[in-house]
Amino acid sequence: MIRVEDLTIRYRTPGGEIEALTSVSFSIARGSTLALVGESGSGKSTVALAAMGILPGEARIASGKILFDGEDLMALSAEARREIRGSRMGLVFQDPFSVLNPSLKIGEQVGEGLVHKRGYTPKQALVRAIELLDEVGIRQPEVVAEAYPHQLSGGMRQRALIAGALASEPELLILDEPTTALDVTIEAQILELLETLRARRNLTMLFISHNLGVVRRIADEAAVLYAGEIVERGPTVALLSNPTHPYSKGLLAAIPRIGERKTRLASIPGRLPDLRTPPQGCRFASRCPFAQPQCAASQTLMESGARAVRCGRADALVGVPWPHLDDGAGVSEPVRRTTAEPVVMVENLTKTFTIGHAPWAFEGWRPTRKPICISPVNGISLEIAAGEALGLVGESGSGKTTLGRTILRLIELESGTIRIAGEDVSHLPQSALEPMRRAAQIVFQNPDSSLNPRKTIGDLLARPLVRFGLAPAAEVPARVKALLDLVRLPAHYQDRYAHQMSGGEKQRVGIALALATEPRFIVCDEPVSALDVSVQAAIINLLADLKDRLGVAYLFISHDISVVAHLCDRIAVMRHGEMVEIGPVDEIIERPKHAYTRKLVAAVPRVDGVSGGHPA
Amino acid sequence: MTAFILRRLGFVVLVLVAVSMLVFTITALLPANVAYLILGSFAPPDQVKALELKLGLTDPIWQQYARWAAGFLSGDLGESPLMKRPIAPMLWEAVSRSLMLTGFSFVLIALIGVGLGMLAALRHGRALDHGISIATYIGIAVPEFFWSIVVIIVFASWLGWLPASGYEPMSAGFWVWLTHLIAPTITLVFGHLAHVSRLTRSSMIEVMQSPYVNAARAKGLPERVVVFHHALRNALLPTITVLALDFGRLMGGIVVVETVFAYPGLGRLVVFSIQNRDLPTLQAAILVVAAMYALANLVADLLYAWLNPKIRFGGHVS
Repeated sequence: MIRVEDLTIRYRTPGGEIEALTSVSFSIARGSTLALVGESGSGKSTVALAAMGILPGEARIASGKILFDGEDLMALSAEARREIRGSRMGLVFQDPFSVLNPSLKIGEQVGEGLVHKRGYTPKQALVRAIELLDEVGIRQPEVVAEAYPHQLSGGMRQRALIAGALASEPELLILDEPTTALDVTIEAQILELLETLRARRNLTMLFISHNLGVVRRIADEAAVLYAGEIVERGPTVALLSNPTHPYSKGLLAAIPRIGERKTRLASIPGRLPDLRTPPQGCRFASRCPFAQPQCAASQTLMESGARAVRCGRADALVGVPWPHLDDGAGVSEPVRRTTAEPVVMVENLTKTFTIGHAPWAFEGWRPTRKPICISPVNGISLEIAAGEALGLVGESGSGKTTLGRTILRLIELESGTIRIAGEDVSHLPQSALEPMRRAAQIVFQNPDSSLNPRKTIGDLLARPLVRFGLAPAAEVPARVKALLDLVRLPAHYQDRYAHQMSGGEKQRVGIALALATEPRFIVCDEPVSALDVSVQAAIINLLADLKDRLGVAYLFISHDISVVAHLCDRIAVMRHGEMVEIGPVDEIIERPKHAYTRKLVAAVPRVDGVSGGHPA
Repeated sequence: MTAFILRRLGFVVLVLVAVSMLVFTITALLPANVAYLILGSFAPPDQVKALELKLGLTDPIWQQYARWAAGFLSGDLGESPLMKRPIAPMLWEAVSRSLMLTGFSFVLIALIGVGLGMLAALRHGRALDHGISIATYIGIAVPEFFWSIVVIIVFASWLGWLPASGYEPMSAGFWVWLTHLIAPTITLVFGHLAHVSRLTRSSMIEVMQSPYVNAARAKGLPERVVVFHHALRNALLPTITVLALDFGRLMGGIVVVETVFAYPGLGRLVVFSIQNRDLPTLQAAILVVAAMYALANLVADLLYAWLNPKIRFGGHVS
């Protein structure tokens, strides 16, 4: 159906030309699904844009061919390519929140392709759009067609996008991280929908994802992309259960798996090579634990049967697992204080937001407007002991983040009590919260927006030390070094600015910042959600080490149950502001009592779980 | 939505009340005495006293204000002590002439400004973009009286296409009427293009790089549909707010332009009444300017809400 041959794409940037893709080749047979797997910067989205012919202006196709149904797309005129896209090829983007035009109705956006491509009248297109919305499982499609994007939930928007891509009955559907922005339960529904559609319409799919669990479920074949090169390719199940390329091995070893005992995760040290001057030899060599001098020579993609791998030592590495790298600190003795009273005690905590007012109405003689309220935190009680991690899971909008921030009094509570380190802080004025601010800290999801871009890391880390008078001025530099050391960053990083560091490094600084006051309790609000798998593993290991070494208590908020199950001792499940279940990890994962918990756990796509795709 | 409009209207009324008080107090504090104005500077003091008493100028200021405001609300703007005739018809005539001028200019600023902004955005970083930027910057950087003179020199003196100044009513013939409007309009438009075109340009550039425009391209829609249907609608939202502000600036801009072109509109009336201490006319004129400003912003707010479904429809569907 589609065949990509030797595709090389370069981007012009102010710092020089970057080679985003280096002679990438693959093909997908009609009716089957290929997954393109890789971390950020691997070039996987560039493949999608190139296939559609909508690369941004700074991109240049240096060489290669894209054959669609035997026709060379590069040889076609811009007009002819435009004809093909949206009629024979459809693209579903990653983020349903920004991909829909905010000022056009859903029905129009789903059906407009038909108007311009198939000569429908707007009215006919709307009728067809409603049918398509119905086909992708949207209830009340007539109402949704008349709605604007902001009135829909993320899952509904993603369905609408898929409906729009399907409208012109494309033969090839390219999906760029279609479920990444969604909750697991919604993700499971979307994947199911894609499987049904594929069977019903004999769709060919190019599925781009970093989530190996999702890939296992949906794809017949998978190709692993690293730094613009395909490093391994093969049938999904075979590749995932028996990876050959060291990078694939590392990627798989870095994923926390539900039900696996708590050891430290394997992580991949280092970072992507500079693609302005890609290394001559194996691009992964600098991060590869199996690297040998011969890896400096250029590597070719060697085919053997259905599989192909770009590693000269592949034969020698068959069956060799990814080593557990010691990333700096040995697992030290836990210093748990089991006897002490809980560090955090929350009782009956409630927070209500007024989101609007009902229309004026008479209540007796008085005209009044009833406020419309939602309670993202509704009567929550929990305790966390020193050195314990309580995981908080639930879908987006269930109140996880609000709970975390209310406990820290970053959001004012409505009622209930909060005791941190034995002190009742629920009703103290903000000015009297100083000791509590020292004892309880927070790590945010996105280190890009939580680190001041105009200060060096050293300044940032010194700030809480000075603010709380934790160290005399002379000792501050030493303390900053110690903090950097604690999160395993080299001391010279104190002179860097946030933009000079990678995502994982920034998150380490975020953690160091929270640790600066020697807190007893840290709220971790989705601290690894913005990170790549290999980096995520290192951060999770770090958090686990710090917990054991310093006896810090965590409230670990995450939508990723596998991560929570790996790191935490107990799990609390939230839904619509209420806690539906709380208990030890094993109990929640293996014997969930509440129906919602069961649904949530079952929805998690697993790398070692069932494969929904056709058997290879 | 009704509640939204009513609330906005309420704000407009509040603004006008506040402005009227401010205008009245300031002009009442000016070193100008209406009685002297009527009787001449060398009138005997006892006559002045008597007239002051008759006009109520010795009453406390709030009483004077109440009387003035009540008259204003009933449509009686009083009489100009200088020109010895009622203010209302004189003012409306001036306002209608100025509205022709600002209306024309405003429409042209909106059309040309948005057009140039779009062109610059679509040719982002190329010669045309830089050319448009430089031209509009020159327009805004040099004051209006300079452009007025340039326009007079070029179109009236050199080319002889347009009259240098003055105003002729429509009854004197459509072309005669129009030619008197063109020169001041060109001046006003050139001085105000930069705001609109720069803002349209930057929001258009941003919108053209947004995921939903990319998605529209991925649907294979013709570029014309992508630009006008998908991008422009969203890119215009900030422009609308600035257009309303520009309408207010135009009302200020006409003071200079009308003076240079000897165009008998509101601006000239204001200048004239200030120069001659004609306080009742000045008060009425300023209030009218404030009212137009407030109404322009009201229209912008409503238009913004109408174009932006997030304001128009708040809630969620099912």
